[in-house]
Parts: sequence; structure tokens; C-alpha cells
Amino acid sequence: MATQIVMDRTGDTRHNFDAKNADALLKAEERFRELTGAGFTAAVRTASGEAMVKRTFDPNAEETLFFPRLVGG
Amino acid sequence: MSRQLLRNAKERLRSFLSECGSRARVLRDSLRRQLNRIDPSSRFAPGFRYEYWEREARGLELLKQWLSPEQFAQYDVKSYFEVIGYHSGKRYRISRGTSMNIHELDGAGCPCVGWCFVPKGHLVAGDIMLAQKIALETDERGALAVANRFSVSTGRRNMLLYPAMP
Repeated sequence: MATQIVMDRTGDTRHNFDAKNADALLKAEERFRELTGAGFTAAVRTASGEAMVKRTFDPNAEETLFFPRLVGG
Repeated sequence: MSRQLLRNAKERLRSFLSECGSRARVLRDSLRRQLNRIDPSSRFAPGFRYEYWEREARGLELLKQWLSPEQFAQYDVKSYFEVIGYHSGKRYRISRGTSMNIHELDGAGCPCVGWCFVPKGHLVAGDIMLAQKIALETDERGALAVANRFSVSTGRRNMLLYPAMP
């Protein structure tokens, strides 16, 4: 089961999907495009635990984190 | 003559303040009545289902899942963790907080410059710190380009904010 985690005011919202299911994968890819199109940054963790930014949808990513566009505080 | 004017002015001011006071009391009572009618779980904003501490805990839990073992251990003990900037290799300290919580460290490990950038929107502290960590570790230049820089020499309060250098 793969997960897309979207940071929001509740802490985060998680979207779980079966990466082996073509429909679910398509929906996840659509969500990825919508979020990144809206300015969110998508990041995954590598096997060594390091964070890596993803510009395109990775169907093999077990966990993808989305955080909103950065602004000066 | 001037005493009479002063007396009149005082009387008008007293009357004005009295009117303001009574209006403020009416407004306060009205707000209290409205608040009592709202479901406490959604009192702060529409769709706000999670209580403050629950949201904070969720954010911190997510942060801890994404910290390296070294960062996790550091945060657990000191309430801050350090990251290495992707482009410059500089060390940054991210302290628990939601703004003005990033400090660039000098060679001796002392804070020399403060940086402030946050993800847009109302996010909890854990989420903000995690976004800051990922940004510095993967796109340091991009993060600092939008950040505001502040001096740390005079303490963390009332620091001069000025745009980051390109």
C-alpha cells in the first residue's frame, strides 16, 4: 500500500492507494499533478533515509510527502 | 473661560468612554452567546476537526518519521536538529517553532545568521520544521531565495528583518 501525505492545517491528510491497481495509480498521479501544479513540493525518502524532491510522479514511491510553496516568514 | 472649556471637554470624554464601554459589553456578550452555539471541535475555523494538541502531535510524529537517526536523537534531547545545506554544505539549526527558527551555524557551531521561511498556509510546527529540513537538504538556494534573513547578534527578539541576498 502506497501513501501520499499532504501537509495541511489538520497536521496532514493521507491518501492510501494500491500501487498495483491501475485505476488507483492513475488517481494518485492525477493528485500528484494537481498538488505540484498548485505549488506543492513532492518529496520521497530514499533507501538511506535521505529526502529527495520529485518533479514527476514516481509510481514506485511508497510514501510521497507534499508541502505547500515556501514563502519568507 | 478656559476652565469651563476644560470641564466641558472632560465631561464629553467621560460620556464618550462610558458609551464605548457599554457598547463593548454588548459586543462581548453577543460574541459569547455565538461561541456557545458553535460546536467546540470546530470553533476555530470551518472544517477544523482536530484539536490543537492532536494536530501538533500529528505534525511532530510526521517530522520524527522523516528525521535521520542523528537528527531524531538531537531533537529528542535539545528540541532542535541540524541539517546540511544541499548547495553550500553549511550547517543549519532548525529549532522547534513556526517562524524565525532557522540559524546558520559558523565553523564553531555558533549561530551567525538567522533565516526565516515557511510553507504557505497555517501548518503545525512539526510540518513547518519538516518542510524547512527538506528544503535546505534538497534545494538550499531556492529556500534561501525566498527567505528573510535576520541578525542573531542581539538575541532572537526584535531582530531586524531584511530581504535575503541573491
